[in-house]
Amino acid sequence: MFKSLITASTLVLMSTAMVGTAYAENYGPYPVTVKGYKGDKKNSVSYTGQVARHVLSDSIKKLAGKSDGKGDASQILEYFEGSKKDLPIIAPKGKDGFKIKQKTVNEISKGKNISGKFYDGAVPAWPGNMTGKQVVKHMIKHAAKTKDGFDPKTGYDYAQLISKFTMGAMSYNQAVDNYLDEKLRADKKPNNKPYKKGAYYTGKEHSWDEAFGYFGAAAHSLELSAKDNYLVAKKKDAKIADANGDGVIDLKSEMVFGNAYYAAAFDKSGKTKYMPTIMKAFIDGRKLITSAKGEALTDEQRAKLQAYAATIGTTWEKVLAEAVFKYAGSVYKDIKKLNGAKDDEKAKLYRKYVKHWGELKGFSMAIQSGKNNLGKTAVEMNKLIGFGPVTLNDKYVTGVDADGNFKMDRRRSWGDYQLHMLKVQKLMVDTFKVEARVNDGTENLAKMLKELDAELNAETD
Amino acid sequence: MVATMEIIESFFSLFSDFVEPKKRVFVGYLLLSIFIALLWLIFIKRLSIQKAFAKILDRKVFFSKSAQADYKIFLINRLITFFISPVLITQIAIATTIFYALHTQDFISAGQFSDVNKAIIISLFTVSMFLIDDFTKYLVHRWMHKIPLLWAIHKTHHSAETLTPITVYRIHPLEGVLYASRGAFAQGIVISSFIFLFGEAVSLYTVVGVNILVFIFHVTGSNLRHSHISISYWPWLEHIFISPAQHQIHHSIAEEHYDKNFGAALSIWDWFFGSLHISNSDQALEFGLDKSEKSSAVNLRKIYLTPFIEIAATLYKLSKKVLRSLLGLIRSLRNSIWNLNSHLGRKL
Repeated sequence: MFKSLITASTLVLMSTAMVGTAYAENYGPYPVTVKGYKGDKKNSVSYTGQVARHVLSDSIKKLAGKSDGKGDASQILEYFEGSKKDLPIIAPKGKDGFKIKQKTVNEISKGKNISGKFYDGAVPAWPGNMTGKQVVKHMIKHAAKTKDGFDPKTGYDYAQLISKFTMGAMSYNQAVDNYLDEKLRADKKPNNKPYKKGAYYTGKEHSWDEAFGYFGAAAHSLELSAKDNYLVAKKKDAKIADANGDGVIDLKSEMVFGNAYYAAAFDKSGKTKYMPTIMKAFIDGRKLITSAKGEALTDEQRAKLQAYAATIGTTWEKVLAEAVFKYAGSVYKDIKKLNGAKDDEKAKLYRKYVKHWGELKGFSMAIQSGKNNLGKTAVEMNKLIGFGPVTLNDKYVTGVDADGNFKMDRRRSWGDYQLHMLKVQKLMVDTFKVEARVNDGTENLAKMLKELDAELNAETD
Repeated sequence: MVATMEIIESFFSLFSDFVEPKKRVFVGYLLLSIFIALLWLIFIKRLSIQKAFAKILDRKVFFSKSAQADYKIFLINRLITFFISPVLITQIAIATTIFYALHTQDFISAGQFSDVNKAIIISLFTVSMFLIDDFTKYLVHRWMHKIPLLWAIHKTHHSAETLTPITVYRIHPLEGVLYASRGAFAQGIVISSFIFLFGEAVSLYTVVGVNILVFIFHVTGSNLRHSHISISYWPWLEHIFISPAQHQIHHSIAEEHYDKNFGAALSIWDWFFGSLHISNSDQALEFGLDKSEKSSAVNLRKIYLTPFIEIAATLYKLSKKVLRSLLGLIRSLRNSIWNLNSHLGRKL
């Protein structure tokens, strides 16, 4: 009797320990809690639609970067607006040593598009007084007219502009302004009902999962170091990515996409913990919903959930601010190199500069597509970055004409534009308190001052 | 227990300057100063070793009332610095503002000289830092003597009647703030300009973490400036570097020594601007202030408060002067209107 009691309690302890570990480190699996569900599903986690959209976005980036310049945007638009055909995945594609399970978008989720989930509010950062969706279509149209998505005249790199803007206007916007905002209200998608008729997940469970899906982390991202997450996103380590050890990388749960990749990339500096902070908030929130066992959430539970959502929202915003900071620094450094470059080096350096500017502009537009109205900060940021970079003849895009073509009727010096970049970095520090500060333009200055360490009681005679 | 440890730690940190090679009173520099003084007294002044030691460690100097006041002021000022936050923030603000402004200049661009040989960049930076620092020290020191408001503050330092290496700390806290601001400004300009023009290669040649030129200044007896050991150099050298004897002249009560030798390490500034005074190897100097200055060598209350009173009095006098001239202006305006009125009245 005594012996069996010990065995039983040991077993209970062991199983709680195991469940505990699984719960603490992975996003899912979580049991089905919908009342009256008769199906055979055991795991209520589902965010394949979001993964499909990451794949659509990555594929658009690749396609924009391979444009032939003939002006036919139909292929990119297929990936943007969705297609009745089963579209092949163009990126991320498997390679030797990093085999990917899915080859087509439908293998992940059927009938998905980006256009239906794209921020459609005003976008003052782009010329032409357009909404978010109009802006990205404008970009796609012009991308098709360029060779490889690069327009040396305006200084636009469309692959970068579109993909970075999408990270905000789709992923960040949908997560923080929809699923972690409206959908957390008591009257929206309640937890005591399935998300939609017949679904194996409740309203709140699925809302939360969708937000997590948009973030783009792998289910096991919390188990991984910043560097490991980075290696997975870059397809450099299949062993780390392949969580279930089946020899292939399942895009549905084992890949790191978009925003999550950037969170980890900044954490690599050792100064921040963006990825674990966001992952932990997502996991804790999901556990809280699961613990309600299919009942409607109490006000207290929802308040807790909203606190997790707030953590996710502010940390995510900081990740985007870090990206703006980083690329403002890259642009600053690129100009420095261009200044002293010989003519035969210039073309290559200019291409790099345009790429970095595209990332800067894209992220600066992304951070404005969330829930928060950035007000003065947005106005200041848009003014500093401008509609386009200073190009090789000192001209830059100042607007669009009635036909939607870019106007370039002003000039600015490279030095002035460098100063703008330093001010963008300062704005990110002052407004968002960014900490990783990659490519800090005034880093040397601060370092030197610290080294010399002036003190108040300077010696006098 | 923890609290006691903290108190002990804070107590020791009051004396941290003695183990900090960035500071003049670093124990190594003090020992070297004694060594230099010994050499001077034995080989130049022909004193016996015993007599030389006795002269260096003169009780009348180190235990004088003035010196005792120095020690107390040292402690009080160290405590005050604990409560005033470092100036690093203002320094960053100054340096960043200049760094920003440089970007808007058309004739230069960021990193324009970044491909210059690294050794040249470091040498240039090391020398520039030293020169600008030394020159601004000269300038501010000169103002301290020439501008009555600042002299009210700087008097504290000159009230010392005996000089010891600790006299360097005998300054009014307001002077500390002024000197630190000077440092922030001077270094801010040099650092931001160099990093703008030369980029990442900018750094200092240092020894034990100190600019090598400052290090040379310290190991060659910077502590002897505030001492009773009157070491002079050859006259030609005293046109370039300030000797201990020259700085002692700066502290002299004699009228012919007033407003001379303001320089810190270099005397070229004094030479250029006409305030150089070459030392005399047999000079017998009296240090301190004239009675008319109403200061004290020993009374701490007077030392700390008099500057505030004198500043207030100077400001009061100044405002009275301004008010008087304003009143005069109003009065003359009134008179001219009066005159005009009566003139017009007569005409009508």
